[in-house]
Amino acid sequence: MAGLPLPRRVLPFRLSLRPADGPAALACAIIAVPMISVLLAAVFTGGGEAWQHIRDTLMVPYLGGTLGTLMLATMFMLVFAVPAAWLVTMHEFPGRAAFEWLLILPLAAPGYVLAYAWGDLMGVGGPLQSALRDMTGWAARDYWFPSMRSLPGLAFVLASGLYPYVYLTARAGFVSQSICALEAARSLGASPLRSFWQVALPAARPAIAAGLALALMEAAADYGAAEYLGVPTLTFGIVRAWKSFGEPAAAARLAVILLVLVVGLVMAERWSRGRAGSQQSSTRWRTVSRTKLSGAAGWLAAAFCLTGFTIGFILPVSRLVWRAVESHEQIAPIWDALKNTLVLAGCGAVFAFVLALVIALAGRGKGPGAAFARLTASSAYAIPGAVLALGALVVLGGMGLTLTGLVPVAALAWVYASRFTAAGAEPMVAALDRAPASLGQAAQSLGASPWRRAKEVDLPIALSGASAGALILFVESLKELPATLMLRPFNWDTLAVRAHAYASDERLAAAALPALLITLAGLVPVILLSWRLSHARPGEQAGLDA
Amino acid sequence: MTVALSAHGVSRRYGPTAVVDEVSLTLKPGAITALLGGSGAGKSTLLRLFAGLEPVDTGEVRLGDRVLSSPSSTLAPDKRRIGLIFQDFALFPHLTSLQNVMFGLKALGREAALAEAEAWLRRLDLTARAGAYPHELSGGEQQRVAIARALAPKPAAILMDEPFSGLDPALRSYVRDAALEAVREAGIPALLVTHDPVEALESADHVAILKSGKLQQEGPAADVYLSPASADVAAALGPITRLKAADVPAALADVPVGHELAVRPEGVLLDGAAPVKARVVTSQLTGAMHRVVLDMGGHRLVALVPRQYAPQPGEEVGVRLDPALAFIFPSAGT
Repeated sequence: MAGLPLPRRVLPFRLSLRPADGPAALACAIIAVPMISVLLAAVFTGGGEAWQHIRDTLMVPYLGGTLGTLMLATMFMLVFAVPAAWLVTMHEFPGRAAFEWLLILPLAAPGYVLAYAWGDLMGVGGPLQSALRDMTGWAARDYWFPSMRSLPGLAFVLASGLYPYVYLTARAGFVSQSICALEAARSLGASPLRSFWQVALPAARPAIAAGLALALMEAAADYGAAEYLGVPTLTFGIVRAWKSFGEPAAAARLAVILLVLVVGLVMAERWSRGRAGSQQSSTRWRTVSRTKLSGAAGWLAAAFCLTGFTIGFILPVSRLVWRAVESHEQIAPIWDALKNTLVLAGCGAVFAFVLALVIALAGRGKGPGAAFARLTASSAYAIPGAVLALGALVVLGGMGLTLTGLVPVAALAWVYASRFTAAGAEPMVAALDRAPASLGQAAQSLGASPWRRAKEVDLPIALSGASAGALILFVESLKELPATLMLRPFNWDTLAVRAHAYASDERLAAAALPALLITLAGLVPVILLSWRLSHARPGEQAGLDA
Repeated sequence: MTVALSAHGVSRRYGPTAVVDEVSLTLKPGAITALLGGSGAGKSTLLRLFAGLEPVDTGEVRLGDRVLSSPSSTLAPDKRRIGLIFQDFALFPHLTSLQNVMFGLKALGREAALAEAEAWLRRLDLTARAGAYPHELSGGEQQRVAIARALAPKPAAILMDEPFSGLDPALRSYVRDAALEAVREAGIPALLVTHDPVEALESADHVAILKSGKLQQEGPAADVYLSPASADVAAALGPITRLKAADVPAALADVPVGHELAVRPEGVLLDGAAPVKARVVTSQLTGAMHRVVLDMGGHRLVALVPRQYAPQPGEEVGVRLDPALAFIFPSAGT
C-alpha cells in the first residue's frame, strides 16, 4: 500500500558497526527467520511422497495458474490504470477531481472479498444471469456466460482490486515530469498523441513498472481468491500441500518456486529502469495546466474512469451490502470473530510497530546493519503470507512446539510483523527523511550523545509518521488470510477466516458482513493515503510563474 | 525567407488580473531581443503566448503575415515551428543527447535526421557526449543539447526562457556566448527572457522592458540604456540612485519641482573642483571599478570610479554628474 518500500541507499557500506546497529540486526533476524527457514527446509528435508505427487501432477497447473493469472492481470491493469492516470493528471473533464481519489478505493477490499462478490454477481444464480434469463426466457444451459471461476476470472478479480497500485505510481510518474518536457515536445512538432507515447509514457515507465511489480507481488501472494474461484496457483498449492497432505517440506519446495518468481519480479522492475534517467532534474514547477476535454470527449473520459471504479468498488461492495442486508443469519459469531481479529491484528501491529521503529531509527545512522535491516524488511514484504507462515511452522516444529496456548498467537504476530514491518516503517522513514540532516548535527554540536539524539530528536520526528504506520500495520494484519488460516489458535476465527469459511460453504450471505467489515477497515488507510497524496503535489501548489 | 515574429496588442488574463496587458512587440529576424522585467512582470507568459502554449485574450501573434494566435483561434505549438529553450532545459530523460536532438527531426527520415543531429552535436562540441543520458551531462552540456535540439529542426523563431540562470556563474558567459552565436547564425527572430540586465546588455541587440504586464520601452540596447523612458526602465537595466528634487543641490543639477533625478553610478564623477561636496562613507573594489558610497547632505549617492581615483572613507570629495548618464523624470505619483 505504501509504495515499494526499498531502501534508497544500501551502499556505501562502512564496515564499522554502530550502537544503533545492534537492535537493527536483531529486528532483521526476527524478520528474516521465517523466510530463511523455508529455504532451508526446502533444501535439506526430503519432500516425501506428497512432493512426488505434486511435482508430477500438480506442478504444471500451479505454475501455469500463477503465471497465467499474473500475465492477464498485467494486461487488465495496464489497459485501465495507465490511461486513467493520464486522463486524471493531464485533462479536465466532468468528475475529474472526484475520480482522482475514488480510483484508489478498490485497494481497500482484499482479493478474496472481491472474489466472493464477483463470483456471486456473475454466478448462475447471480443477478446478471437471472436478468438475462428473465429477459430472454432461456434456461441456464442455453447460453454461454463468462465464468469467474476460471483463470481469466481470477486475473480480472485481482486486477480490479490491485490496479490502484499502477494508477497511483503512473499518476505520480506523470505529475513529477517536467511539464516543460511536454511543451518542448510540442514545440518540436510532436502531436499531443506522440508527446504522450514518446515523452510522457517512457519517462513514467519506471514508475509504472514499480507499481505493477507491487501489484503482481500481491496477486502472486493471493490465496483466498484463487481458492474460492477454484484456480490452482502456487500459493494455493502451498497452503494445500501443508493442509491436505501435511507435508511442510513439499510446501516449502513450492514456496521456493514462488520466491524465485517474486525475486524475478523485483529484478525485472530494477532492470526496466535501465540506464536512462527518469527523474527530470527540474526544480521549477509549473501549475499543471490540464487540457479541457469538452463535450463527448469529456463524457467519454468520465465514463472510462467510472467503469474502472464501478468494477473495482461499487459493484462488488454494493453486492455484498445487498447480501448482508438481505440475509437473516444470526450475527452472533461475528462478535467473537471481531474480538479475535482485534487481538491478533493488534498483537501483530504492536510487534511490527516496534520493529519498524527500530529500523527507522537505525536507518538514521546509515550504518550497514540498518541498511541491511531495511533491505530484509522490504524483501519480506514481497513474500506471500503463506510462505512466511510455513517458515514459522518449520521453526516451531524444529523447537518441538505445537499450536496450543499462546504459541499460535505469538507465531502469528511474528509472521504479521515479518511480512508488514516494511510497510509500517515506510511512513516513519519518510518523516525522518523529510527532516533536514542538520538537525542531528545540531544535536551533536550541542553535546547530545547518539542515544540522546535518537531519543530526543529522531524518535519524536519518526513518531509523526507513526500513526499512519501503525494504522497500515493493523489493517494489513487484519486483512491477511492464508497465514492466519495456517497458524491461528484452534477455534479462533478472525473476520477473514470467518468470511473465507462461509464463502467456501457457499453461504455468501453470511460471508458478506465480515467481508464488508474488512473492507471498511481497509478504507481507513486508503482514504488517509489519498488525502496525503492530494495534499503533497509539487506541481499543483506552485504559484504561477508569470 | 525568415520573417519577423510579432505580437500586436496581445493580452492574457488570469481571472481579473491581466498578466500581459496590450503588448505589441516585433522580434526581428537575426536579432536577439531581450525581454527584461522583475518576477511577475509577465515575461514568461508573453513567451508562452508567442509559443502558442497559451491562448491570447486580445490581439494577435503573427509570423510574418500569418496569424498564429488570435482570440478566436490558437495554432497548436507543434504546428508553429517555434523553438523553445527552458530554464530547466527540459531534456527528455529517457533519451540520449543524440536522440533528444533527433526528436524534432522526424520529418527528415532516420538517416538524414541522424546526420543532421550529429552535425549539430559536433557544432556545439558535444560529439563525445552523444550517447549520454541527460542526467549524465553537466549543466553546461545539458544547455548545449537543449540549444541543439531547439535549433536542429530549423525553427522559424526561437524563444528562450531564462536559459542561462540555472548555470554556474563561472560557466555562464562561456555557454551563453557559444549558444547565442548559434542562435544568431540561424538568422531567425530570437527572444531571450531574463531578469539579469547585464546579460541583456551583453548579449542582446534589442531590449524590451515589461512591468506589470505592460511594455515600458523597447529599442536597441544602447538606446534604451542611454535614454530610458522612465526611472523604472532605467532601474531595469542597471543600478541607479534616485533623488527627489528638493534633495538635489542646484549646483549639481537643475531638477524642476515634481521631478526626480535618476543617476547611474558611473555617471557620478568625483571632481575636486566641483562646488558640491560629499563625504565618502565606504569605498570598495568590486571588480573592474571601485564602488564608492557618498553622503551628500544626508542623502546617499553611489559612484563607480576607476581604481586609481578611488578616495578613502571619511574623505571629502567634490561631485558632479555626467549629463549622458543622469536623467530627470516626473516623480512617480505626480
